[in-house]
Amino acid sequence: MTTMVTQPAGAGLTTQLSGLYAIWLREVKRAIRDRGQFVGGVSRPILWVLIMGIGLNPYFRGEIYGEVRFVVPYTYLQYIFPAVIALNIMYTSVQSAVSTIWDREFGFLREILVSPLPRFTILLGKILGGTTVAMFHGCLVLALARFADITFVPSDLLLGLSLMFLLAFGLTSLGVVIANRVRSFEGFGVFSNAVILPLYFTSSSIFPLEPSLTTAQTKVVYPEWLVVLVQINPLTYAVDALRGAFIHFHQFDPRIGPIVLVVMAVGFFLIALRDFSKF
Amino acid sequence: MTDGAVPEVVIDGVTKRYGRTLALDDVSLAVRPNELFALLGPNGAGKTTLLHILCTILKPDTGTARIGGVDVVAHPLQARRSLGVVFQEPSLDDRLTVFENLNFHGLVYGVPAARRKSRIDEMLHLVELAEWRESLVRTLSAGMKRRLEIARALVHDARVLFLDEPTVGLDAQSRSRLWQHVQALRKKRDLTVIVTTHYIEEMESCDRVCIIDHGRILTNDTPAALKTAHGQQFIRVVANDEPTALEIVAAYPGLAHRKDTEIVIKSSGEAFAEALLSRFGGRIRRFIVEDPTLESVFLSLTGRELRDAPASARERTFQFGKRGGEHTK
Repeated sequence: MTTMVTQPAGAGLTTQLSGLYAIWLREVKRAIRDRGQFVGGVSRPILWVLIMGIGLNPYFRGEIYGEVRFVVPYTYLQYIFPAVIALNIMYTSVQSAVSTIWDREFGFLREILVSPLPRFTILLGKILGGTTVAMFHGCLVLALARFADITFVPSDLLLGLSLMFLLAFGLTSLGVVIANRVRSFEGFGVFSNAVILPLYFTSSSIFPLEPSLTTAQTKVVYPEWLVVLVQINPLTYAVDALRGAFIHFHQFDPRIGPIVLVVMAVGFFLIALRDFSKF
Repeated sequence: MTDGAVPEVVIDGVTKRYGRTLALDDVSLAVRPNELFALLGPNGAGKTTLLHILCTILKPDTGTARIGGVDVVAHPLQARRSLGVVFQEPSLDDRLTVFENLNFHGLVYGVPAARRKSRIDEMLHLVELAEWRESLVRTLSAGMKRRLEIARALVHDARVLFLDEPTVGLDAQSRSRLWQHVQALRKKRDLTVIVTTHYIEEMESCDRVCIIDHGRILTNDTPAALKTAHGQQFIRVVANDEPTALEIVAAYPGLAHRKDTEIVIKSSGEAFAEALLSRFGGRIRRFIVEDPTLESVFLSLTGRELRDAPASARERTFQFGKRGGEHTK
């Protein structure tokens, strides 16, 4: 009897890795088989970039007596393009947390919980799976780059993809944190929309913080409360970082974006891990 | 243990409390290797709590539990490697295929690739699901899903298989087939099986039955020994005519009662039956000695019948999901 206790407790590195792979693969497979999610992932960027972006494009530049001035030296399409990437990632990440509720309510979670994998590995696998799917949906937006007059060199793309990864990881963790706090699917639908849309609209994604596009508009300012909302929204800095990568435009100190993204990823993951260890 | 074998599962002084409810009260138990061990008890008796402690998803307040010598409280991850669990509620991913579910399990338990493939094939043949290998789990019947869960629990080298109410919700045919598969598995490999069930007749084939109520073990023995010790033998008699019937009822006050023409008499054993037969033998049409059942053992020990619980909130959510409730759809 005592001979067995001296064995190393739990799973070895190989088991950990194969378990991580299994959980990741399952998340990805489930997402691939969920047509609804894919339709959303494709239709969202088309609506935001091709319809709203092109539609509002003319209003983004002020023109006075033939003289065109820009505070934001880009077209509206170019301006919102990085934000739509963030939006698509945000929807998919948070939605992927539905699978957490699914697992809990339909018993699959137990199958995982009685496995020799530690909670950390299980959670990491789930979140990496959701992150992968969200990254894919982010890349669906990138496919529309040429319609938005966005050109980037490979190094921009690499930077952009790593920022997208951090954002997707952080938001998927946030999704799991939310999922752990709601009891039902219906609740989650309401909750996620109540989180996603306000975060998106107050992240300076569809309008720049400085509304004075032209000299004639310099007196136009946003009310203080809106500016505060935008400034305290962490997504603002994520979108800003993505803009930096894809159109080289920053509204804030370029260092803030990556820092906020890393803090979000690590912070939400740790909260999710704490919740998850209670099961 | 009387036979000197090293027990596979040992539970020692386990107590578990939920708030003010005492779910398990100083429970001690030992299960021998390769035994088919049954836990029987009404709802809320503590069976599932005990099972969850053994499966390491619940920690006892006091006491220890060991599986194959590994303390499940101190080394849960290590203990889980020798466990195969089939929960009361289904725990398959029905968007994955039969093979994908099994392969997932194999990967999570770190079963090497070659062994994983051969073990999956072997298990699928054993539970007769080989031709469904590539089907999505949602297309399987309830009985097939249960068999698949048992197969899955044994993809890794499980030494102890826990079955929590494995036959709930299955029709009679699926139930007997499931038990055939469990018996076949036990012949095939070294396996200790611990099962809880509502269906008392299923306990007959178990090596030992442990009756538990209000968190305490009431008795723990072979089905035959339990019936001898606690069971009640009944004799059913149909008399030739009415006067005889009245005479029989009068002869056994408190022991006999009538159901139309039939008289049911509580018997105290073979001698009792012989005495009855020698006295009324010529005047009765039918004479049936009913051996004690586990049902009667259970009744006499707990004073309760086994009953089903109403649908829980989880059950309702499950129904919602079955109708296609995941809102990304």
